[in-house]
Amino acid sequence: MKKRSNKTFPLLYWRRIAQTLFLLLFLVLFRLTDYKGEDQIPYAVNIFFRLDPLVAAAAMLAARALISLLLLSLIVIGLTLILGRFFCGWFCPLGTLLDLFQTVSPLKKEKSNVRRRNWKYLLLGFILLSAFLGFPVVGYFDPFSLLVRGMTLSVDPFFNYTVGSFFDFLYRHGPSFLSQISESIYSFFKDTLLAYNQKFFYLSLLSLLILIAIFALERIERRFWCKNLCPLGGLLALLSRFSWLRGHIQTSCRGCRVCTQICRMEAIDQTGGIASADCNLCLDCLHLCPDKAISFAFKKPEQRPVPLGISRRVFIGTLSSALILPTFLKVRAETKNPDPTLIRPPGAIKENFFLDRCVRCGECMKVCINNALQPCWLEAGMEGLFSPRLVPRIGYCEFNCTLCGQVCPTGAIAKLPLKEKQKTVIGRAYFDRNRCLPYAQGTPCIVCEEHCPTPEKAIKFREALVMNPEGKMVTIKQPYILESLCIGCGICENKCPLEGKAGVLVINNPEGMVLSKIAMF
Amino acid sequence: MNRRVFLKQCALWTAGLTLSPPVFRLIPELWAEPRASIVSITEGTDYPALVSKVLGPLGGIQPFVKKGQRVVVKPNIGWDRSPEQGANTHPEVVKTLVRLALDAGAAQVLVFDRPCNEERRCYANSGIKKAVESLGDRRAICTYMDNRKFIPVRIAKGKSINDWEFYKEALEADCYINVPVAKHHGGAGLSLGLKNIMGVIGGFRGKIHFSLGQRIADLNTVLKPHLTVIDATRILLRNGPQGGDLKDVKILNSLIASTDIVAADAYATTLFHLKPEEIESTQAAYQLGLGEMDLKKIKVVKA
Repeated sequence: MKKRSNKTFPLLYWRRIAQTLFLLLFLVLFRLTDYKGEDQIPYAVNIFFRLDPLVAAAAMLAARALISLLLLSLIVIGLTLILGRFFCGWFCPLGTLLDLFQTVSPLKKEKSNVRRRNWKYLLLGFILLSAFLGFPVVGYFDPFSLLVRGMTLSVDPFFNYTVGSFFDFLYRHGPSFLSQISESIYSFFKDTLLAYNQKFFYLSLLSLLILIAIFALERIERRFWCKNLCPLGGLLALLSRFSWLRGHIQTSCRGCRVCTQICRMEAIDQTGGIASADCNLCLDCLHLCPDKAISFAFKKPEQRPVPLGISRRVFIGTLSSALILPTFLKVRAETKNPDPTLIRPPGAIKENFFLDRCVRCGECMKVCINNALQPCWLEAGMEGLFSPRLVPRIGYCEFNCTLCGQVCPTGAIAKLPLKEKQKTVIGRAYFDRNRCLPYAQGTPCIVCEEHCPTPEKAIKFREALVMNPEGKMVTIKQPYILESLCIGCGICENKCPLEGKAGVLVINNPEGMVLSKIAMF
Repeated sequence: MNRRVFLKQCALWTAGLTLSPPVFRLIPELWAEPRASIVSITEGTDYPALVSKVLGPLGGIQPFVKKGQRVVVKPNIGWDRSPEQGANTHPEVVKTLVRLALDAGAAQVLVFDRPCNEERRCYANSGIKKAVESLGDRRAICTYMDNRKFIPVRIAKGKSINDWEFYKEALEADCYINVPVAKHHGGAGLSLGLKNIMGVIGGFRGKIHFSLGQRIADLNTVLKPHLTVIDATRILLRNGPQGGDLKDVKILNSLIASTDIVAADAYATTLFHLKPEEIESTQAAYQLGLGEMDLKKIKVVKA
C-alpha cells in the first residue's frame, strides 16, 4: 500500500482534499452569513442550498413555478448523471462530518440491514408528493437544512458562549499580564472564528438533539444517515443508477472481500458487483484492494438498473399518506385562527406559500443582525416548526437592513430593495394601556416614540393631564400609533422599558406579505 | 517711629498674618466668581477649519489636551443614519477633534458611543468609524463599547437617581471631549451636550426616561466634560432623535464650544427658537450647579 502511494498520488487523497475544502468553504460561508459593514452581502452565502436538487425540486413543486435562484442545482443533477453520487462522497459537508466522526471514534462492528436502504426513497417520494400538495416537510430532512439550522440555532451560539466565557474569566479574574495576552487573542477570534454577537434562540436544544441523533446513528452503521435516510441521497441515488462512471471488479480479484468490509456505503455486495446507486466514489476500495482488481471507468450502463425492491404495500402506503396529510392542514385551527403574534420577516410571501417554500434552513435567523428572527415552535402549526418569525422582545427588525431576503435560498423571503423593505408592513403596533407607563402609572416615558424609525414617526404623543399614583395631577406625554405609518418593525416593543411583557406590542399583518407566489423571480 | 505707631504697626502686621491664610484661600474663588462662562460660536462650510476656529477663543486644544494624555472624544453615534440626516455628529467634526488631540500629543484618542440601533450599522453609516480610521494613526481608535467595562457608580449629588453604571474608559480619561449633535428629541425636547452622556452609561437606559431631564443632569454630576463642542452644522428640527427625512434637517453650518456644558446647551437651545429653561435637563443641571444657563451671564464670543 505504501509502495503504491510513493509512485502516484492516490485518488483517495484527492477526495479527502475535496471534502476538506468543501467543508471549509461551508464553514467560511456560514461565518460570512452576517453583516460585514456593507448593506449587501457580496458572497453567495446560500450557494450550498442553491446547488441542492432536493431543495430545488421540493420548493419548485410547492411553488408550482420555476425558481431561478435554484437552477444552479441542475449542475449537480448533470454531474450526478455522469459521475454518480460524488456529491455524497466528495462534496456534502454533512457526509464529511460523519466521516470525520468515524475517524475520531471508529465503529467496530456494523449492524447492517439492507432493508433500511429503501427508507430514503420512500422519504423522498413522500417529501416531493406532499410538497406538491402543499405539505412542506423537506426542511426537516434536507441535509443542508439540518446542518445549517443546527449550527445556527445551537452549535454556533454554544461555541460563542463557551469561548467568550473562557476569555471573560481570564479578563475578570486573571492577572493583568495574562489578560492582556488573552484579550488580544480574543479580539483576533472575534474578528475571525466567532460570531459578532452572542445570539439566543428558541429550540436550540431541540436542534442540537436532532444533530446528535444523526451522529448517533453512526454507532449502528457507517453513514447511516446517507445510506438509509437522506432524501437528497435518495434522489441522487436514483439518478446514479444511470450514471456513466462506475466501479468494476476485474477478474484479477481473488475474492478476499476486503472491499466489502471497508466500503462505507456498503455498495459492494458479496457477489462482487458495485452498486452505482450506493457508491459515493470515496475510492477507498480502489486504494485498499490488495489485488488492485477494482477500477473506475466511464461506461454506458448496459443492463437495466436493478429494481428498488420497495413492496407494493409500502409504496401505496407512502403515497396515500402523502396524499392525505395535506388535507389535514385545511382543518387545523391555525387555518381558521392564525396566531396574531406570528410576524414573518419583511418580504415573506403570503403565509401558505411561505410555508411551502421555506426550507427551514435557518439562513435568515443566522444573518438577522438583531437576533430578531427566531424559529417557530407551534405558532404556525406543526408543519411550521423551525420556520422564522420575528420576536420583538428579543430583537427588532432593523429599519435599514435587508439581509434576510438576500440569503433566503428559495425566495420564501423576497429580496426587497431597501426603499421597498422600509415600506413593507409586517405588523402593527398597539398600546396596552393597562401596562404602558404614561397611561397606567402616570409616569413619563415615551421611549417607544424616540426609537420609532419611520421618517415621520408612526408613534406620536399628546400631552394629557392625569392623576399619578401619588394623587398629584401631572402633565404627561401619552403615546399613540398612527396605523398608516407603522410597519411593525417591533423596535418599540423591544425598547419598552417595562420588564416582562411590553406596554406596546406588535401583531402581524397578513396583508403586508408579498402577494404573488412568483413575484420574486 | 514712636511707641504708639510701633504698637499699631505690630498689631496690624500680626492681624494681617493671622488673617491672611483664610483670606488667601478665599481668593481663587473670589476671582473665579465674576468670570463669565464663555461660549464660542462660529459659522462656515469648511468643517475641519471650523473646528479649529471655534476653539480659538478657548485657547485652542492646548489647554485641554496635554502630551501623553488619554483622550476620549465622545460623539453621538446613536442611530443607523447617514451624516446628512442629522441624527449623529458629523464625521468631519469628530475627525478634526481627534486630529487636533493627536497633534497636541495625546497618547491615545478613543472614540465611542453606545448606539440605539445595531452598533456596527451606526458606526458605519454615521461615517464616523471610517473618518477616524482615515487618519491612519494607531493612537486614534474608534471602538465598539465592551459590555464588561461598565462599572457601578454612586451618584452622590443625584436628585432622582443615585446609582448607575458608567463606562470605565470614559471615567478614566485624562481629557473628555463631548461632541454631541444638536437635534430635536421627543422626550427631552432637545438632545444637546448634557443628553450625550446617555452614550457612556450602561444598564437599561429606557428607565432613565421616567424622569429624563433630572436624571440626565444627575448623570452629568459624575462625568464632567473638559470641553463640549456642539455640532450644529445641520440640526434636526422634527422627528428626532433619529429623524430620517431630509425635510426635517436645517443646515446651519455652525459649531458651539464651551468648557461649560450647561452654557453650551443654553446657547444651542436658541438655535431652535426655544428658551434654555424650556429644556428640563438644562434647568436641572443649572440647579445642580453644573454651569450657567442665564444667557445674560454667558459671554458669547464669535470666533
